[in-house]
Amino acid sequence: MNEILLSNEVIVYLLAETVLYLLLFIAFLVTLGLLKRWNFDAFTSEQFQLENRSYLVMTIILFVMLLKILLLPYFVYTIDRLSDLVPGAMCAAGVIKANAYGNPLLSLKIVILFLSGLWLSINRLDLGAKNYPYMKLKSWFFIVVFLFLSAEFILDILYFTHIETTNPVSCCSVIFGQTGGANGLPLGLDIPKLLILFYLLFALVVLTLLSDLLLLSLPATLFFAVIAYYAVVYFFGTYIYELPTHQCPFCMLQDHYYYVGYLLWGLLLFGVFFAIDAAVMQKIFKQPAETLKRNALLLLSLFVLLCSAYVAGYYFKNGVLL
Amino acid sequence: MVILEKVSKVYNEGTTQAFEALKEIDLHIAGGETVVLSGVSGSGKSTLLSLIAALDKPSSGKIEVGGELISKLPDIHASAYRAKRIGIIFQHFNLLEALNVEENVIVPLINSGLKTEEIRQKAAKSMEMAAISHKASQQVNALSGGEKQRCAIARALVHDPELILCDEPTANLDRANSLKFIEILRSLHHMGKTVVVATHDPLFEGLPFVDRVIHMEDGRIVEPAGAAPSADLTEES
Amino acid sequence: MQNSAFFHFLTLLLFKQRSKHIGAVLISVIIIFLLSSVLFISSSLQYSLMDTLEGEADFSVSRIQAGKAVNTPVEWMEKIMEINGISGLTSRVYGRYFFAPRERSFLIVGVDLFDEQNSRQMQKLAERLDLKAFLSEESMLVGEGVKKFLEKHYYKSYFTFKTPQGRFKKVKIVQMLPSQANLVANDIIIMPIDLAREIFGISEDEVTNITFNVPNDAEWDNIVAKLHLLFYDVRVVEKREIKKAYENLYNYKGGLFLILYLVTIVTFILILYQRYSMVYSTERKEIGILRAVGWSIREILKLKFYENLIIVLVSFLLGVVFAYLYVFIWDAPLLSRIFLGGANLSNHVEFVPVVKFGLLGSIFLFYAVPFLAAVLIPAWKIAVTPPKEAML
Repeated sequence: MNEILLSNEVIVYLLAETVLYLLLFIAFLVTLGLLKRWNFDAFTSEQFQLENRSYLVMTIILFVMLLKILLLPYFVYTIDRLSDLVPGAMCAAGVIKANAYGNPLLSLKIVILFLSGLWLSINRLDLGAKNYPYMKLKSWFFIVVFLFLSAEFILDILYFTHIETTNPVSCCSVIFGQTGGANGLPLGLDIPKLLILFYLLFALVVLTLLSDLLLLSLPATLFFAVIAYYAVVYFFGTYIYELPTHQCPFCMLQDHYYYVGYLLWGLLLFGVFFAIDAAVMQKIFKQPAETLKRNALLLLSLFVLLCSAYVAGYYFKNGVLL
Repeated sequence: MVILEKVSKVYNEGTTQAFEALKEIDLHIAGGETVVLSGVSGSGKSTLLSLIAALDKPSSGKIEVGGELISKLPDIHASAYRAKRIGIIFQHFNLLEALNVEENVIVPLINSGLKTEEIRQKAAKSMEMAAISHKASQQVNALSGGEKQRCAIARALVHDPELILCDEPTANLDRANSLKFIEILRSLHHMGKTVVVATHDPLFEGLPFVDRVIHMEDGRIVEPAGAAPSADLTEES
Repeated sequence: MQNSAFFHFLTLLLFKQRSKHIGAVLISVIIIFLLSSVLFISSSLQYSLMDTLEGEADFSVSRIQAGKAVNTPVEWMEKIMEINGISGLTSRVYGRYFFAPRERSFLIVGVDLFDEQNSRQMQKLAERLDLKAFLSEESMLVGEGVKKFLEKHYYKSYFTFKTPQGRFKKVKIVQMLPSQANLVANDIIIMPIDLAREIFGISEDEVTNITFNVPNDAEWDNIVAKLHLLFYDVRVVEKREIKKAYENLYNYKGGLFLILYLVTIVTFILILYQRYSMVYSTERKEIGILRAVGWSIREILKLKFYENLIIVLVSFLLGVVFAYLYVFIWDAPLLSRIFLGGANLSNHVEFVPVVKFGLLGSIFLFYAVPFLAAVLIPAWKIAVTPPKEAML
């Protein structure tokens, strides 16, 4: 355990998380004050002070979210580097599975990023109005997100302090691959069906976004995100590694694949976020969300293009598919 | 154009040093009017001006400028209001000493979304109107009092506001520069701008282009000049 | 995306107020410089060592007695040869020779130059050597540290060893090992294997250890087990364990430094927070003016954010560039001593430029996150000053 905690990346990572959490805690306290006292119609100097304080909260949240967007890939990079110290791990996949906290932590991070992004969207809306209509909503929403953030912080510490360097862990080929004997695909799908679903869902997402059927686009996007994950791990990834048995979401983040994993997952995550944001803004808050929709379409299209390009590239180079 | 209804401002409310700067002010100013607020220091005229400028919020009452309610605007809107619709000239000029004249003049336009070229043009026009173009690249701390005031005027005019507010503008100027200032006010009046000047400078007495003089004392308006001619209310934009 | 007028204004303001930020930039650059230098040296050394290690054999086997390594019987080689999956079986004779008056030591490595070398370094050397000259009389190759040391003691072209039997052996210094290899070769002497035997008094049926490769890594655990079955008094050292040990070592050392830096950074943050909280009345007045003229709190915050970001980026770049020059161009005088340890023979290493993107990212996060967090609240405080107050 000691070597883990003393590795450079872990120290930097935990320091950053601690500093950010402290700031968030301050924001939390201020928000509690806001919830108690906020009264837009009052002309007291206290109310004016509260408006100023609300700027502190939104500044902290914006700052923290921007950094968390940087820290997510850095977290994965840290874990990838730890794979040298954890026996049996060849990439981040093994290290994530080193204890029970890894996967929940990673998923929680993604959820938090999505929630923070939504918060900032709502905040922007709130600032545009003349009477802060969403102040209460924002504040309660942040309280909830803060709970998630606290959980994340605790999980961070638990995770890193419980990585054993003596127990060997499985490598990605066992976790994800067929060598472990398990078929990882859900719903009993096989690769061809998975691909059809992948492209179909993508088309559905595009259609619903373009034709403003946003209530439908929400579940479509989420479903697409899930299917895309499996498609990348079990099919497209193999074309990145050029090995039909190498199925792993993390190895593509390493330098010998030119770090394309960051681009790939980044496009997917941002694209999905913008689609969800657009749906929420338009359906719940009745705001036009043209830029958001456009961004979502652009990013998701690039994502699908990138995936397909690897397959096409391989086929052109070698004349056959894997 | 400017409507105040039952506007009060209390500082340090709830404490023993509570001070009522304004007491239930009612005031209407029509578009295009040039109005002088006169009164000794402490009479509340500066406070009144800062409320109209949305630099501060009233403790009670309603303030409307050009049809827009500005008494309790959130910061973003209050700032947009100041940046687009009013120009303020201060007693102590309030220029950024580290920059030169042109750089000071363009400050209100930096976040307006205009292109640099357009901003430059507007600044040039405004500096010409304030007769300070010849000092455009001069560092502000090397200017004389009168020149600084003219730089402040140029800044107040650069975004073409409808309403110009002046707080004791001649207090730090000598007589010659004060007269020059008054000249510029006159041309602003002729351009159709609404001008409100808070001052106790006797030079402002009896000026022909001043439509009204409103006397303030102890937080109240004492001369009956509250209501503008009713016809103007419907003419306001 | 952003208005160029805004950035123009920003740079103008920064430039005119540069004296305000000079202190923070200076301290930042020093901190980043030190941190980066340490990390550059560390990762460069790690890279070089790993690189050298890669060229070594997978396994090395020696005999132990009472827990200590002793000379290994040559006949073990025949038994080991019978194990499946082994390739490149060779033996080595080496040891430390102590130069008594000064209590310094050389590492003498005996090689059979006609044999296949298991070490890539050795292989490279063997190719470059003028064999005939080397073998015509008793000669040796010495590392840079050895050469300098011997010269200091007036041994210019040869050295006289004292054997355990009490005899003297005069050996000619033929060539110096290239200084790029100083990391491992600094205190090494390479000589023909029989000569080494003589100097150490190791008989012909013994060697120091036996090395071999096992290309199929799935077999490694098997091989270890077999070796232990063959000989009861064997010690097996696997390359993969050495690799891990080196990793740990560098992690550990690097980690210690970072903890030190943690302390520094915390102090730095406190200073920063303090300093930027001291709201100079001039800055407050300036911000008040901006607000009065129509800048919103959001816009002021944007100004402050970019202002601080630029400071961070500039400091970071300066610190890293200086560190790069210091370590990779000037070979890090002073600091390198800490890492290389001059305990035995003083060493002078040319660092191989190894700069990984992730390393820079770590340094950046380590510095930027605390810095920006420390100035966030002071920046906010200044941005929300009511414009009226600031102007009075």
